[in-house]
Amino acid sequence: MEKNHVFDQIPDYLDGNLSKSDRAAFEKHVEQCTDCQKELEEMKTFFNVFEEEVPTPSNRLKTKFEAALEQEKNNQGKVVQMESKPSANWTSNVLKIAASIALLVAAFQMGSLFQQRKANEDIAQLQDETNQMKQTAMLSLMENQSASKRIQGVNYIEEFEQPDAAIIQALANRLLYDENDNVRMTAFEALAKFTSSETVKNTYIEALEQEKNPSIQVAIIQALVQIQEKKAAEPMKKLLEKEDTQPFIKDQIRAVLPSIT
Amino acid sequence: MRKFTFILMALFVATIAKAQNDYTKSLNGIQWVKIESKTDIVIKTHSSNELLIKSGPEIKTPERAKGLKLVGEGGTDNTNVGFSVVQDGNTLIVYNLRKSKGAEIHLPASQNIAVKSTWNGDIEIDGFSGEIEADAQLNGGIKIHNVNGPVTANSLNGQLEVVFGKVKQDSPISLYSTNGAVDVSLPSNTPANLALSTLNGNVYTDFEVKAEDKDGLKSVLGRNIKASINGGGVKISMKSTNGNMYLRKK
Repeated sequence: MEKNHVFDQIPDYLDGNLSKSDRAAFEKHVEQCTDCQKELEEMKTFFNVFEEEVPTPSNRLKTKFEAALEQEKNNQGKVVQMESKPSANWTSNVLKIAASIALLVAAFQMGSLFQQRKANEDIAQLQDETNQMKQTAMLSLMENQSASKRIQGVNYIEEFEQPDAAIIQALANRLLYDENDNVRMTAFEALAKFTSSETVKNTYIEALEQEKNPSIQVAIIQALVQIQEKKAAEPMKKLLEKEDTQPFIKDQIRAVLPSIT
Repeated sequence: MRKFTFILMALFVATIAKAQNDYTKSLNGIQWVKIESKTDIVIKTHSSNELLIKSGPEIKTPERAKGLKLVGEGGTDNTNVGFSVVQDGNTLIVYNLRKSKGAEIHLPASQNIAVKSTWNGDIEIDGFSGEIEADAQLNGGIKIHNVNGPVTANSLNGQLEVVFGKVKQDSPISLYSTNGAVDVSLPSNTPANLALSTLNGNVYTDFEVKAEDKDGLKSVLGRNIKASINGGGVKISMKSTNGNMYLRKK
């Protein structure tokens, strides 16, 4: 019996493929035969190992594998992998989106800021150019052959808050040298806003010495008295002595002279 | 037939005689006509593009002056009507050399004119649409009627009277007098920015400027009045130092 080993039946036995009678005979033999017992044990172990080594992949394994694959992918895709906990994933994503939106908005803002600054510069430049153009227009109008156009040029002074010296000088020249009385009068009125300027004061005094039109004379006298210009006393005294000075101018001078001497 | 020829001859002679009396000069290339006179001067419009100086029937050269030319401070009589006419660039300078007797000058309506009266002469201008400058430097008065363009006028002792037609340009209008009245009529719908000022006179107007009632026209107190009428427009500046000012709706 001992010689009659059942080695070749072991796999079938382990697989449960033996018939009932064969199975009983096999078990009976294995109980008596140590060789066969040993063989069966080895075979069983082998089968078990085999079973353990090659399991059909369970769902858990599958997810694990895919997670591992994902991680591997991630490891390969990025040089620096920020460590992130899976549980904090959604917040970090939101933060990332927020950050990118913020970046986008910031970039946009920055761009529009620069654009704005550029636009402001452009506007400032344009304004400067307009002022330049106005000034050129004003100066050229003041040289026009037509008195009405010269008056229009002089009236342009209303466009300037802070006229520069060239404009003041051009107006002063109109008051001193224009052949047309109306232009001189308009130039006087235009300068009346800037009596704090030394140029204007000196122009008024010079104009008073040479002006023949009584209306302009009396207007200059009033303006000089208003700013208490002491230097105006001399030309006024000269006007008093002149024969062709109109009586009402003399009256005016006599009335105001004490207040500035 | 003989009679007819005689009449024709007479007409021809008369035309030549008339042509000799009046002076004409083409205004091609002329922008401004500057006229200076010591005596009364009347300026009217006509349709041809030339300067026409009417001599008037009463002008006669003295017997002794035969073959001589009239010389005055404005130049020499080169027109045989007592005027000196000289072209200076685009300006025609017309100088009345006579110290008595007025003159009548005709110009096209669109001509720019500058008229100066240096003594007692009155200036009368009627019907122009160009630019007008008038300056009565001593005792003369100024009357400017039916004008549309920019007017710059100044008088010392005479009165200044301006009647505007439709004002449609935007170049400023400036009307000043020292001792005379300033009397201006303006179509009531004229869009304008008014600046009225007087030192010792009063301002009367029926335009809507801040005012008090006084005999239909309003007397406006205060020396400087600024007002815009019909929404504002051309700048009209009026000033009289010692005279009254009248601004009327037309």
